[in-house]
Amino acid sequence: MDLTTSLQKLAAYRPKQSQKSKETFEKGVALLEHGGYLKQGDEGWDALERLALAALDQDNLEVADRCLELIAERFPGSPRVDCLIGIRMEATESPDVVLKYYDELLEADSSNAAAWRRKVSVLRKMGKVDRAVEELSALLDTFYTDVEGWLELADLYASCSQYVPILLISDAQNLMSARYTYALQSLSHALLLAPQNPSHFLQFAETAYLAGDITLSLKMFLTVVDMTDDDDGDVSPSDSIPTGMTLRAWFGVKLCTRRLLTEPRLLTSSGSQTPAPSSSNISTLDDLSTERLRTAYLDIKNESPPATEKELIAVLATLIK
Amino acid sequence: MSSSTPHALAESLCILTLKSGIWVLFPITVVMIMVGILRHYIVLMLQSPPKKQPRAAIREQRALIRSQIIRATSANSPIPPTYYKSISQHLSQAFADGTYLKDGPPKGDAPAPTAPNPLTDPAAMDGMMAGMKTQMVMMVPQMVIMGWINFFFQGFVLIKLPFPLTLGFKSMLQRGVETPDMDVRWVSSLSWYFLNFFGLNGLYRLILGGENSADSSRDMTTPFAAAANIAQPGQAQDFNKLFKAERDNLEFAEGLYSWVGKDVDTRILKKYGRLPGEVPR
Repeated sequence: MDLTTSLQKLAAYRPKQSQKSKETFEKGVALLEHGGYLKQGDEGWDALERLALAALDQDNLEVADRCLELIAERFPGSPRVDCLIGIRMEATESPDVVLKYYDELLEADSSNAAAWRRKVSVLRKMGKVDRAVEELSALLDTFYTDVEGWLELADLYASCSQYVPILLISDAQNLMSARYTYALQSLSHALLLAPQNPSHFLQFAETAYLAGDITLSLKMFLTVVDMTDDDDGDVSPSDSIPTGMTLRAWFGVKLCTRRLLTEPRLLTSSGSQTPAPSSSNISTLDDLSTERLRTAYLDIKNESPPATEKELIAVLATLIK
Repeated sequence: MSSSTPHALAESLCILTLKSGIWVLFPITVVMIMVGILRHYIVLMLQSPPKKQPRAAIREQRALIRSQIIRATSANSPIPPTYYKSISQHLSQAFADGTYLKDGPPKGDAPAPTAPNPLTDPAAMDGMMAGMKTQMVMMVPQMVIMGWINFFFQGFVLIKLPFPLTLGFKSMLQRGVETPDMDVRWVSSLSWYFLNFFGLNGLYRLILGGENSADSSRDMTTPFAAAANIAQPGQAQDFNKLFKAERDNLEFAEGLYSWVGKDVDTRILKKYGRLPGEVPR
């Protein structure tokens, strides 16, 4: 792993208490006891770093401290270690102290992107969302290619309602869509940076749906379908069974077409002025997506799907989660 | 003795020196390897860590990447027209205003900044000094070794190659021994030095890894390449000019722009056989 990607990973670190960290932790502790890491050379240090993060994730500060001590002894003054120490501090110290630590790091080297990202996440945890947004925007203005950063910015916009320029707040509906429009803008940067990743498209489509821009959302969902369905396989696309992301995209298509068919107002009220598909195309897409969803349901549950559309959507909504 | 040809005489002399030659052959090789390894570590010590750049400088340098990224996919862009236009025009405007310039937007009447002289610019000077230091570390020990060989072992014949060679190799293998009659297979001390000089790189790579700075023959072939490489980033680029040029590219890319989702509904319907036109596979 080279330095930049490791720093980016560290910067994007967030405690999750996941199953995976538990596994890493249990395996790692045994190795740590035997001093096995020190014999492996560079890979050992990488593994030790992972163990430290996993230990923090599992709230085992003792093990984390031992790992950190070993690492800090070997690599004094490395930005990666500074960042790890910061993450360790976040576990016990008050946010103000940690924030000060990161500020000091940034003062010493104003281009330390990892410390900058950590600062943003601390700000976010403290609830200072507006400052987090401000810092993250400045960071992305300098380090444009940080896809994770753009996704986080989109997430920040979508999850908070505090930070929207005052001018735009005229009523609740506007407020909602303004939030999501900002999120969409951030996501479009992520799309530009990684146009090969369908999950960003899916996120864009879902955000557009929430923003009430149904025609844009429909097109994006269809793009995801186009990207993820297995059209290189032996079966023709119409005989394949949608799974995973494709299924989720078809579900999105279904939701969009239903809303477009029931609320014709939405055909022309797109915030991004995305032209709607022709009405015959919409109804055909509606049929097609129903058929796709039924196929998927049959495959997952092994029973015939519910007859009405409403029930089908309700049942699938629980399946896709 | 009187019946022996000059050729045979030289041969027997060579055999005489060959015995002592063994005591020269290995020391020369060992000393050269040692010096190479030592040189590697000295160069490592001399290398100063790359200078940290302030935030504004990084921002200036990376601004062009933004436009390159949006241009790269513009013919099949993943983002819808309104978003593309807003990003593209915002960038274009920023380039025109010089928002991304390190020292802020340029003043209207200020003289065009000239590239600083690399000899007076301290930043560029550092780079040149580093190159010079590396050069010195390379030159000095090689000169010393060559002097040592020339002084003590001049005219020594070290080994006899186990295979015959044509006369053309004489100048390569018998440097320092001006004997026209001697068999080409004999290798002189100075030639042995040169063979080592050019041939030890493989050994260094085994001992020190691929990115070592022990091999001096590489620097020898491109004497000032090292210095030139380091001096390059010191040379000031006129970002203002680059930005202005990039605006044209952005405009061109905007002309090529088409959204990947433009006809995606018809495409999907055709793919799934719901529209006449394309036969599904």
